[in-house]
Amino acid sequence: MPTIIVCFKWVIDEAYIRKGSSGTLDFTSVDYKISDYDRNAIEEAVRLKNSHGGTVIAMSVGTPEATKGVKDALSRGPDQACFIADTTFNKLEPSQTAAILADVIRSRIVNYDLIFCGEGSSDLYAQQVGASLAEHLGIPYISFVQKVDIDGGQLVVERRFEEGIEIIAAPLPALVTVLPEINVPRIPGVKDTLMASKKPVMAIRKEDLAPLGGARLQTVGMTAARMDRICEKFGTEAADIARFVNALRKKAVIS
Amino acid sequence: MAGIWIFAEKREQALELLNIGQRLAVKTGTAVSALLAGNPDAARDYIAHGADEVLLLPPLAADQSYEAYLPVIVEEAKTADPDLFLCAATVRIRELAARIAACLETGLCSSCIALNYGEGGKNLEMERIAYGGAAIQKVTCLTRPVMATIPPRTFEPGTAEAGREGHIRELPAPPTSCVRVLERKVRTRETRDITEAKVVVSVGRGFEKREDLSLARQLADALGGEIGCTRPISVENHWLPEELCIGLSGIQIKPDLYLGLGVSGQIQHVTGIRNAKVIAAINNDENAPIFGVADFGIVGDLYDAAPKLLQELKRGSH
Repeated sequence: MPTIIVCFKWVIDEAYIRKGSSGTLDFTSVDYKISDYDRNAIEEAVRLKNSHGGTVIAMSVGTPEATKGVKDALSRGPDQACFIADTTFNKLEPSQTAAILADVIRSRIVNYDLIFCGEGSSDLYAQQVGASLAEHLGIPYISFVQKVDIDGGQLVVERRFEEGIEIIAAPLPALVTVLPEINVPRIPGVKDTLMASKKPVMAIRKEDLAPLGGARLQTVGMTAARMDRICEKFGTEAADIARFVNALRKKAVIS
Repeated sequence: MAGIWIFAEKREQALELLNIGQRLAVKTGTAVSALLAGNPDAARDYIAHGADEVLLLPPLAADQSYEAYLPVIVEEAKTADPDLFLCAATVRIRELAARIAACLETGLCSSCIALNYGEGGKNLEMERIAYGGAAIQKVTCLTRPVMATIPPRTFEPGTAEAGREGHIRELPAPPTSCVRVLERKVRTRETRDITEAKVVVSVGRGFEKREDLSLARQLADALGGEIGCTRPISVENHWLPEELCIGLSGIQIKPDLYLGLGVSGQIQHVTGIRNAKVIAAINNDENAPIFGVADFGIVGDLYDAAPKLLQELKRGSH
């Protein structure tokens, strides 16, 4: 029966980010969430377990505050979690996150069949942790997957690209990143949340890991996206509509 | 040999990257090498558009996917040691680029929308969208090669220069891989490609039922444009195909005119229209975020305003 690992990230919910004065980002009233597509990854891991049996381990690298995210993830069906936390882990870049996950998987999980990640995180959407993790572990990597199955000990997936789909087979273990279309993530109920707090969590600290490699990218700026627009408003009276059409004509965007 | 590498699946994407690559090559006094998979006849065309060298990737076997090129590209990159490697941000190359960066142990700026040499001309500063479109992240890369994936149509394609010369070299065939393509299904488009449309009328949640979309279609026809939509309309309601879904996780458009009907203006959607020349909107909620990013907005019920707008457009054209 397969052991399935699913990786997720606890991120700032971008809907709560406000634009501060002079183009800064205001994070003062933000809330956090499991990154959108990682919820699909968790759901898919649990769905696969329900049809093939086995175990689902939810894994995350983050700051100690992400404990809340670990509970949230466990309420969505995984059997156990592995949480690698440090106060400095809010500044990791994809190559470092992947190196940490690889280190933990190699040293503590060993026998696994399949790893799921989301297509990209909702905060930075670099789409690199899955690819980099697969390279570290030396296992097949298939991205942008909209359907997954295990058939006769091998993985069979549908992967979507611009012009259509490819049906791909790969030996296990393998790593798959999923598209949001693959399933509809569950909304955990009260019972799920209560059960989640009884599930085992393997806690790993930075000190337990191999030394972290240096950053490859440096963020030199993070500013609010600017949309400089005219912002003129009109009503629905005939005269307003005529002025609206005139404004578009003046801009020469309609004839 | 240092230099600038580019890699794209399609000709128009390659021409964009060649254009930007050549501009940066002139500044830094290096050459441009283009990877080319598929039809080797395109090599001359690439050279005319700015490539000094074309590296031909041999054709794949029927059951090989693009990922089979990974070891070939990584080996060549280790030998050639380029300074900069620009890739088109299409699905298959995005995947490859992330793996190449991991193998070369270098940094990759995903979905880069602007790149410029900073003070002193040494550090390449790259911009990308973060937090679903709410922020612009600016990064520099501390390792070599500097890698970036660039969404199609971010830059203008260059023009061909007659008599330009360059080398063409064939790379080794990709080794067999344990990942096999069993079948390929090419999707036939149900609709026209709206990324090239001059006018796009976008359908949002303000529409109450599917039949009402005819109103959007009539407006699009009157304006000589096409219709697109927000994510809920395609993914949740299935009223329109996903290929018309505009936004960060859908398509990015840059029409002369974007007209949102009943579109609230969620940041992920707005990110897909940020390069529109003019943004207009009709929405009954005067506090809807769309009005903060629109040039011209009609505050009112779309079922009232849209027919009036249609009438006005028809009146004006006679």
